[in-house]
Amino acid sequence: MSQSKQQVFRLATGGRIDRTRTLSFTFNGQPYQGHPGDTLASALLANGVDIVNRSFKYSRPRGIVAAGAEEPNAIVQLGSSEAAQVPNVRATQQALFNDLTARSTNGWPNVQRDLMGLVGKLGGQFMPPGFYYKTFMAPASMWLTYEKYIRKAAGLGRSPMEDDPDSYDHFNQHCDVLVVGAGAAGLSAALAAARSGARVMVADEQEEMGGSLLESRETLNGKPADQWAAQVLEELAGCENVSLLPRTTVNGYHDHNFVTLHERRTEHLGETAPVVNGHRPVRSRMHRVRVGQVILATGAHERPLVYAGNDVPGNLLAGAVSTYIRRYGVVPGRQLVLSTSNDYGYRAALDWKEAGCEVVAIVDAREAPKGDWIDAARAQGIKIITGSAVIEAKGSNRVTGARVAKIDIDAFKVSGPVQELACDTIASSGGYSPVIHLASHTGARPTWRDDIIGFVPGLVKGVQACGGVNGTYALGDVIAEGVEAGIKAVATMGYTAQTVNIPSAERLQQGPAVALFQVPHEKPTLRGPKQFVDLQNDVTAAGIELATREGFESIEHIKRYTAMGFGTDQGKLGNINGMAIAARCLNRSIPEVGTTVFRPNYTPVTFGAIVGRHCRDLFDPERYTALHQWHVERGAEFEDVGQWKRPWYYPQKMSGKTETMHEAVARECLAVREKVGILDASTLGKIDIQGPDAREFLARIYTNKWEKLAVGKCRYGLMCKDDGMVTDDGVTSCLAENHFLMTTTTGGAAAILEWLELWHQTEWPELDVYFSSVTDHWATMTITGPEARKLLAEISDIDLDRDSFKFMDWRSGKVAGVPARVFRISFTGELTFEINVQANYAMHVWQTLFKHGEKYGLTPYGTETMHVLRAEKGFIIVGQETDGSVTPEDLGMQWCVGYDKPFSWIGKRALTRSDTKRENRKQLVGLRPKDPKVILEEGAQIVLDPKHAIPMPMVGHVTSSYYSPILDAGFALAVVKGGHQKLGETVYLPMADGQTHEAEIVSTVFYDPKGERQHV
Amino acid sequence: MSNAATFDTRTDTAIPVESPLAYSYRHSGAPRGSGYRLKLRERAMLGHLILRGGAIVLDEAVREVLGISLPGKPQALVHDASGERSIQWLSPDEWLVIVPGGEEFPLETKLREYLGDAHYAISDVSGGQTLLEVSGEAALELLMKTVIYDVHPSNFPVGKGVTTVFAKATTILRRPSEERWELVVRRSFADYCYRWLLDAGSEYGVNVEQ
Repeated sequence: MSQSKQQVFRLATGGRIDRTRTLSFTFNGQPYQGHPGDTLASALLANGVDIVNRSFKYSRPRGIVAAGAEEPNAIVQLGSSEAAQVPNVRATQQALFNDLTARSTNGWPNVQRDLMGLVGKLGGQFMPPGFYYKTFMAPASMWLTYEKYIRKAAGLGRSPMEDDPDSYDHFNQHCDVLVVGAGAAGLSAALAAARSGARVMVADEQEEMGGSLLESRETLNGKPADQWAAQVLEELAGCENVSLLPRTTVNGYHDHNFVTLHERRTEHLGETAPVVNGHRPVRSRMHRVRVGQVILATGAHERPLVYAGNDVPGNLLAGAVSTYIRRYGVVPGRQLVLSTSNDYGYRAALDWKEAGCEVVAIVDAREAPKGDWIDAARAQGIKIITGSAVIEAKGSNRVTGARVAKIDIDAFKVSGPVQELACDTIASSGGYSPVIHLASHTGARPTWRDDIIGFVPGLVKGVQACGGVNGTYALGDVIAEGVEAGIKAVATMGYTAQTVNIPSAERLQQGPAVALFQVPHEKPTLRGPKQFVDLQNDVTAAGIELATREGFESIEHIKRYTAMGFGTDQGKLGNINGMAIAARCLNRSIPEVGTTVFRPNYTPVTFGAIVGRHCRDLFDPERYTALHQWHVERGAEFEDVGQWKRPWYYPQKMSGKTETMHEAVARECLAVREKVGILDASTLGKIDIQGPDAREFLARIYTNKWEKLAVGKCRYGLMCKDDGMVTDDGVTSCLAENHFLMTTTTGGAAAILEWLELWHQTEWPELDVYFSSVTDHWATMTITGPEARKLLAEISDIDLDRDSFKFMDWRSGKVAGVPARVFRISFTGELTFEINVQANYAMHVWQTLFKHGEKYGLTPYGTETMHVLRAEKGFIIVGQETDGSVTPEDLGMQWCVGYDKPFSWIGKRALTRSDTKRENRKQLVGLRPKDPKVILEEGAQIVLDPKHAIPMPMVGHVTSSYYSPILDAGFALAVVKGGHQKLGETVYLPMADGQTHEAEIVSTVFYDPKGERQHV
Repeated sequence: MSNAATFDTRTDTAIPVESPLAYSYRHSGAPRGSGYRLKLRERAMLGHLILRGGAIVLDEAVREVLGISLPGKPQALVHDASGERSIQWLSPDEWLVIVPGGEEFPLETKLREYLGDAHYAISDVSGGQTLLEVSGEAALELLMKTVIYDVHPSNFPVGKGVTTVFAKATTILRRPSEERWELVVRRSFADYCYRWLLDAGSEYGVNVEQ
């Protein structure tokens, strides 16, 4: 069939398209036309486009098979510009819009003249199932080479290389009842639920709500079924308690009735969202819905029959044929052969005939089919061949004929002579597979029902299934079941249902279907022409048979071995057929073989909708201190500490040159040691602890003693987890007899507050104590250095005399006119005052300090300088010197452990274990590189004998390492096995570049070992 | 007295203050104009106190000192007649009191006098959080984009307040009147919250009142 630029397969009348308007689009560079109401697929069929892709493995031409989400072949790449590229779009679900630009995702250089076809045909011979495992996995080093080739050959679309101009967001929704699917069952359920006043959401993935009612040949209340749908939708749209979400796919069903929906808001309008009133609306939206009761009205997918050549373009699902004719006014061919195992398939032939085209024959696998639709076909003069099936489709780029023969299903063989019927289209129907995917997401195993020849959803709490998904297909029954499900759902949610008049449907006489999946061929499956099970992944019946012969008996293994169901369509069409074939080969029943597990998402979801607004500047919260503005203006580089942005260092510009980090940090360090520096320490966690038992609580939560800490005094505290490992540290001050202020590490603030609450609420509820976070309330400014006192004295009324305001004291008073608490504690080893003021005043106090500080050389410093200065003093940082496996004793901090405290404390017992007592634990030491110019690498491994054969025994690693400006030498902190006993010994650090550094184990205190400077 | 240290962190002198959103106004601006469907207004510099203790003990004290009852019901929010002072249930032994700026220290002092030796805690957090009002016809939609809690009127009547997830941070969300919602956000997260709200609200048009 040649490609035409006219819509030669479009009917003159009928369908739900608007023929008064024409839309232009291109597919693989060719211009075509369609109408509003078309999908890309229906428009392609109207234009006679047979080949829409090349297959994944064999590179065979493929055409449109289905009309909905189950389509395996018509997967296209959209977008006329780089930024607008969208991969993985099902043409059957993409509404046509003007200037739509689509390409096949597979086929190189193009789908018509396919170079890969030759390779594929050759390659296919050598690509049995398990081929990847068998061939490409060994040698493993070659995989990267193979992969490039395979990806180019396969290709399932590509992501854009430019920024997406669209935006996406999330909506948090809550409802009593979520109805999934707005077909006959869903609309009935929604109506029943809505009338009770419950909060109802109805989501449907199609452009228009109504499901199969939109194309049904049946009547309701004597009128076409779509009129009833329109009437129900009108009532629902008028209900304040109902929200209707068309173009919305329910993609994931998670625990506790949490359901994720993806709404395509502008994808039917253009490739990027059209600007409205100067604003570009969101392109798609993820609804995160917490649901009371989920009503699954997802319907059923028709199963194709598996026969030879069933992948040649022109092989379609019977129901899809009806949909294209009745809904889109497109007959996708001229001469039809229908192969069916059931009554429902007959509708395709009736629709085809009514559209004025030729039905060559209906081939029914049943010996003596009986029913109203069969009678109707006979009345139309359509030839019906019974007890038979299409065993092979002829043709390569389009079906040219059907080979039909009598078959014996039980014996799985062709039982009569073969006749070839000329035709261009073969429609097949093997019955229905209920769309059980969402129920499966919850982990519920589906149940096989012989009477409907399909799986129905397993029981899920909070779910009502109705209609096709439940294996109920007769329209009248579907509606009754929908109403019942709606009533049940709202009753469960505590609402009273109102009456719903069930419309009268025709009672059709129908005969039973026969279970037919794979159609026998004259040749055995392994030697006959290919019979495709999974079209997207090119999995054949022979492949499955081979897998079972190679010993793969679990359906999960067969799936992975053959890649059945691994495509973006998740095997919506093929899985049940594949299971049936496996069952036949293994001589088991289908329920014995069981199903594979469906997982979210039901259809592919654009990443934008998953990300929502959590991207770019809003990717993660950035926490700022009250002084952030100043840091920014001063040109600080920032370091991420948890979610905080902390000044890292402040590079200065000098004669047009910006300092390097090394230069800036050296300058900041010397300023603190020689003059005075200032640090924004506001990010430290601060917990207000009040109550008569506050002191006792501290004694239990910290390792050290608190009984004697007087009002006005501060003390360093060390905190362990119950395993005896250090988890946090900080200074806690006694504000009043029953009142303490605890500080925690910046990163630990929230976790430590929870830790305190946990122990208080679960273990020691008898202690009268309360905790509240005051981290954000206070801004903390640390001035440190020999000139700190002089500077503070200029703007404070606090008596700063060294004998009345001693090291580890706190005082309150005014600083720059603002009430402040000032703590004389030190993380640098220098004379230090930590000024705390209510954060709203912080900027004023900070600026005042600078107004007065210039003459003292006041220098702002960041976290890097803080790290160097504290390391020179051997002060640990939890999370740097510790990693959850370090005890206070490993750190040499026995001075901070109250072994004889009267009540046990967290970690005490763990510290008496043999493992925490053993002598060769990694212990914190200082390292002095023999070459003072060397800065050891943090994380570098330490060995005792660098000449030892590889693997060398590693005895520790460097935890912190810096250049010390005041010492003009590199220095490091490290943990070394038995390190406390090794002072003065030499260790070695072999590096990746072949160098080996030498270092001496020394005390952790490198500067001012007697600690005199902080006391001045 | 409970032997806790009290400390008036405010000063009377004309010292400049900066609300938690001062940085945000400079960096993200404060959109004005007509045709908006959303209004944001910061109520800066209010007094915020966290009360912890037994409900019965605290109820008597706040009724005496503040003239309103402690909300005993979870997730309840009560105001005084002027609407300027409120108490909100946060957890079974925790309440948030918000009063006009400057009232928090005298209030704390009076409560402590009244409560005497009872076991309770009062923490001043006025510098650590700020209150953001959200109003306008698109307020519900804005909140649905922002918080995971169900803000439907049937689940969130006037007089309710909860602590919930705000995008990737947390917030206290309360509804003092039919048309007005309040967010209490932590100082350090305020800029993130503000930028999030401007972004989420942009499709409806936002007006920020300073």
